Amino acid sequence: MNSFELLAGFILPLYGLASFSGIAGIVARKRPLRQGGALLAVCGFAAQTVSLLGGSHALLPQGLSWGAYLQLMAWFLVLCGLLGWWRMKTPTPAIFAAPLALIFFCMALPYQQQAIVLPPQLSAPFYALHIGSLFLCLGLMALAFGAGILFVLLEKRLKRKSLVKGFLQDMPALSVLDRINAAAVATGFPLYTLGIVSGYLWAKPVFGTTVSGDPKEILSVIIWGLYAVLFHNRLICGWKGRKPALFIIAIFALSVFSVLFINVFLTTHHSIIRQ
Amino acid sequence: MASELYLIGLNYRTAGVDIRERFALTNHCSKETWMLPCEGGIKESLILSTCNRVEVLAVGEGDVPATVLSRWAQARGRKADELARYVYSYTGLEAVRHLFSVASSLDSMVLGEPQILGQLKKAYRAAVTSKATGTVLNSLLHKAFSVAKRVRTETAVASSAVSISYAAVELAKRIFGDMHEHRAMLVGAGEMAELAATHLLQAGIRQLLVANRTLERGQELARQFNGLAVPFDQLIPTLSDVDIIITSTGSLEPILHARDVKDMLKKRRQSPMFFIDIAVPRDIDPDVNGLDNVYLYDIDDLKEVVEENLAARRSEAVKAEAIVAEEVELFAVWMKSLDAQPTIVDLIHRGEHMAQEELARTLRRLGPVDDATREALETLVDALVRKMNHDPIMFLKRGTMSQEGCMPRINLLRRIFRLDEPAGKDHAAHAAARE
Repeated sequence: MNSFELLAGFILPLYGLASFSGIAGIVARKRPLRQGGALLAVCGFAAQTVSLLGGSHALLPQGLSWGAYLQLMAWFLVLCGLLGWWRMKTPTPAIFAAPLALIFFCMALPYQQQAIVLPPQLSAPFYALHIGSLFLCLGLMALAFGAGILFVLLEKRLKRKSLVKGFLQDMPALSVLDRINAAAVATGFPLYTLGIVSGYLWAKPVFGTTVSGDPKEILSVIIWGLYAVLFHNRLICGWKGRKPALFIIAIFALSVFSVLFINVFLTTHHSIIRQ
Repeated sequence: MASELYLIGLNYRTAGVDIRERFALTNHCSKETWMLPCEGGIKESLILSTCNRVEVLAVGEGDVPATVLSRWAQARGRKADELARYVYSYTGLEAVRHLFSVASSLDSMVLGEPQILGQLKKAYRAAVTSKATGTVLNSLLHKAFSVAKRVRTETAVASSAVSISYAAVELAKRIFGDMHEHRAMLVGAGEMAELAATHLLQAGIRQLLVANRTLERGQELARQFNGLAVPFDQLIPTLSDVDIIITSTGSLEPILHARDVKDMLKKRRQSPMFFIDIAVPRDIDPDVNGLDNVYLYDIDDLKEVVEENLAARRSEAVKAEAIVAEEVELFAVWMKSLDAQPTIVDLIHRGEHMAQEELARTLRRLGPVDDATREALETLVDALVRKMNHDPIMFLKRGTMSQEGCMPRINLLRRIFRLDEPAGKDHAAHAAARE
């Protein structure tokens, strides 16, 4: 067992406990359990950061593994959850980030030794920029997605004048959920644009063409278009509330489909496992 | 004869407000009234007197309820017979159960209301100050406070708003969260609207504006709420700067239409607005609720929210009753242990007395001894007495947990150790045994 595996042995239970405590706190409406879940997510994040700083993502002789790729995504998700906690003064984003991170972490386990075989030119700075900005954006999207779901549920009850019951009673107010959406869109869209542009710039020397009709590229352009509509309307037309919430839910769903389906099952430039 | 716990009282269920006023025991009676029930066979007492109930808790021997009733009626210048018609009386664990229910607000007119616990604490402080409480009431009241806390923590019996004005403010919090960044406007006047405005101010609203058809009345209200009066003809232009609007005018036609609010929303860049329309006929066109980021609640909507909240509280009350029942059981064990207390004390005294006698005899036989030897002997006999008493005491305490109670064990131990016989007879028997 190497030091990375040893550390992973801590990270997984921490994210697991954070998810369990957070979800139990939400279902049972117990504040200490929710707070405990958020704090455990911080511990898991700290452990994973130490692991990443120690170079755990590049321990394989062939370089980055598909498992490490997914784990990196988990790290970005929790990072965004913690940023949401810090900015919005409510631990809810961190509580929701922990189970998502756990899912990514568990998905990563079988692929820990499965190396991503990258041609030498893929280690270019543009690649790092492409991946880094898109990962961070995905984390922000996940945060806004959670806030969006809660917004739609709570808003529906308030509009229909139904009793707000169960876990919704402990969730942040509509304005707070909308602010999470606003922050995630304001920072996420420029990052997504950066990720897409750097990807195209990098594709030219690597694949010989900027636009190759790759399914991932097509879907990314569609997502970027939707994101642009949302960004523009929030900024210029003052969109608030339900519409932006529904938009970000759709955008995140498409992004997850893109990562988990296209990357894994289709033969494209991005089909990491098959390469 | 052992002391018993009694709770004698009347409340909103058994007596109308005129009767409750007639027999109230606060603000009408001198401080000495608190001491009154402690006379005669009553060893401890506490009086809880609120607008919805007057209850006397008493611990004592004899006909405690009759004594309390006569003292209570006397304190209010009435006859006991007149009072007796409205009064209920609980004894022992039933009294404990009732007190726990009262403290947990399960017996309140508005289920789960928070004031009763504060009133009970105040009553307890008054009783303690008057030195009217003892072992039983001190333990009982502290337990009642902890049960009330447990009920509030573990159930949602007190979690939702059950008044229209407070329900409106709770809804505002669900929409806006922190109220410090938001402004509210009171359009028109009315008791319920003013109450909602008071709750909003308590919740920390940044500023309250008041618009009234009569500017002077508006200015008066603004002064009352430390707010700002706005001329009524400036209502619509001002509304775009306000997040929460409470309307309560006497207008026969709506004063705000969906098209007005749509224009406001554009100016506000779609920031959410919450309209609370308490007026009948309604002041705000119901179509307003169809606009994005606008929430409109009229009086019927708020009443429905309150009804649903009350129903939710009632279903939570079932869980709370279970907690109360569980805590009553635990308190019953403690109360049973009180019966064993005099026997335990007698047992310890008997042991100590015998030890001192034997120690004195031994020291006389030994002649002069140094202090170290004396101390060693004293420690020896003390330790022996403690160890010999340990098993009988545990036998008694285990009896408090058993189904038949501890009385059979108390009787048995008192016979074995001859605790009811005069000390002289006991000594004579010991002396005979030594001979």
